[in-house]
Amino acid sequence: MVDAFIVSKENGVIERFNKSAEIMFGYSAEEVEGENMNILMAAHDRKHHDQYLSRYRKTGKKKVIGIGREVVARRKDGSEFPADIAVGEVHGPDGRRFIGLVRDLTEIREAQTQSFRQRQEMLNTSRLSTMGEMAAAMAHELNQPLSAIANYSAACLRMIKSGNHDPEVISEALEKVNHQAHRASEVIRRTRDFTRATETRREATTVGEIVAEVKPLAELDAHANNIAVDYRIADNLPEIEVDSLQIQQVLLNLLRNAVDAMHDVQPEHRVIVVSSRYTAPGELSIVVTDQGSGITQQDAEKLFNPFFTTKRTGMGMGLAICRTIAETHNGSLEFRRNPDRGVSFALTLPTRPSGQTER
Amino acid sequence: MKGSVIIVDDDEAVRDSLCFLLKTVDLDAQTFTSGDEFLQNYDEEMHGCILLDIRMPGTSGIEVQKKLQELNCKLPIIFITGHGDVPMAVEAMQSGAFDFIQKPFRDQELLDRISQALEAHEADEEEASQEREIRNRFTGLTPREKEVMEFVVRGAANKVIAIDLGVSQRTVEIHRARVMEKMEARSLADLVRMSMQLDM
Repeated sequence: MVDAFIVSKENGVIERFNKSAEIMFGYSAEEVEGENMNILMAAHDRKHHDQYLSRYRKTGKKKVIGIGREVVARRKDGSEFPADIAVGEVHGPDGRRFIGLVRDLTEIREAQTQSFRQRQEMLNTSRLSTMGEMAAAMAHELNQPLSAIANYSAACLRMIKSGNHDPEVISEALEKVNHQAHRASEVIRRTRDFTRATETRREATTVGEIVAEVKPLAELDAHANNIAVDYRIADNLPEIEVDSLQIQQVLLNLLRNAVDAMHDVQPEHRVIVVSSRYTAPGELSIVVTDQGSGITQQDAEKLFNPFFTTKRTGMGMGLAICRTIAETHNGSLEFRRNPDRGVSFALTLPTRPSGQTER
Repeated sequence: MKGSVIIVDDDEAVRDSLCFLLKTVDLDAQTFTSGDEFLQNYDEEMHGCILLDIRMPGTSGIEVQKKLQELNCKLPIIFITGHGDVPMAVEAMQSGAFDFIQKPFRDQELLDRISQALEAHEADEEEASQEREIRNRFTGLTPREKEVMEFVVRGAANKVIAIDLGVSQRTVEIHRARVMEKMEARSLADLVRMSMQLDM
């Protein structure tokens, strides 16, 4: 959609309303010319708009002019849409004019949200379903030899207890038990090979970049729950060499958990802090601190176990996978109770040795 | 006669170890390596119960169960399931499976279920053969006797039957006595029970 072009007088009364503006807002030029600009804004922005104008007239302090702002605009039919406005001013013989360029952000926002969602789903399904399927397949594969071992050994015990047993039969069965035990360990070895095969593409990046990638996604979730996310990431941190997608996934998971933990807390506590720490030479941490309901001692012990969860939905693989990811990066994932309330999760990663050249 | 345990599982070690375990309690086993192999060899004379792996390559346990139902097979099925197969096991139970047991199982638990299944099957067989016997007796009745029996089990008095059939009360009494004799019914209640088995 083409940008709308609107000219208003100093007091906010519309003087010119071009064709694109008509299409964008659903008003004809005749309808709005002579009206106050603020009929084109949602209630919240309307109130502010009047204040801005009067303050600007009094103090000359620019809030919008030359800066641009994202607002919620309002069509004739009352529907609202996100818009970006750029405002300039011109001085003519008969006073000051404001010239506004309005861009409808609906499509851009939708596309962004869509692509965030898709990526989020892709990340989740690829990671979780692979892990989930792998766990199920592994359970099935292990159950076969374990069942056989259980059967053979139970039968041997029965024979021995009955006092009527042939040592040759027993030893034959024990050989089979032994064979099945090796078969089970072969299953485990193969699974480990599989996880290695799916491992990581490392690349040099920074905590800032990773946080920036995760931010829009995390905020969708947080804002939907009226939770603010406060980022305190130092900008002079050394680089890290990681699989960015995996580390993003860990961070996103921690943020999600933080959001989930804060459903029932008071509005003043609804802040999650994401901070960075240069913990030791060659090591840094990303810390996600919530002010949520906390974790009981009992749950804390099992927190990182696969299939452990306190949530009604979810399969309890999140933190287990996160820790595995941290560890395959030679890092760690730890949690601590905060002195006041909530918990903090610290993802610690080795920094990239300096002087190393980019691959 | 004690039936045998029919084991359908794709895993050789599982089959072999099950046979080995069953032997310690003197149970005979027949093994099949797939659902298809079992279905090809299935015949109505088979006797006992089926230990059926729910998760097999090719025809799955659930599909085998469906096919057997179509064949009107009455053998009780105990499904062998793994860790994540509970929803499938529930489906199988709803479709009339006798029981299911999770791998790896405790020997006693398995043997108990097998013996319950075998007993249940035997009771079924007993009932079925009884039903066959009663049906045989019933087919030996003359058309008139069948008619009289239908009246009797509905609780009609001889007088009413006589009027409805247009015969003398004495004739009804004679037919009635023949029915009781041929059906080997000890009492009216016995005869009513038989008529229920015949779905009259």
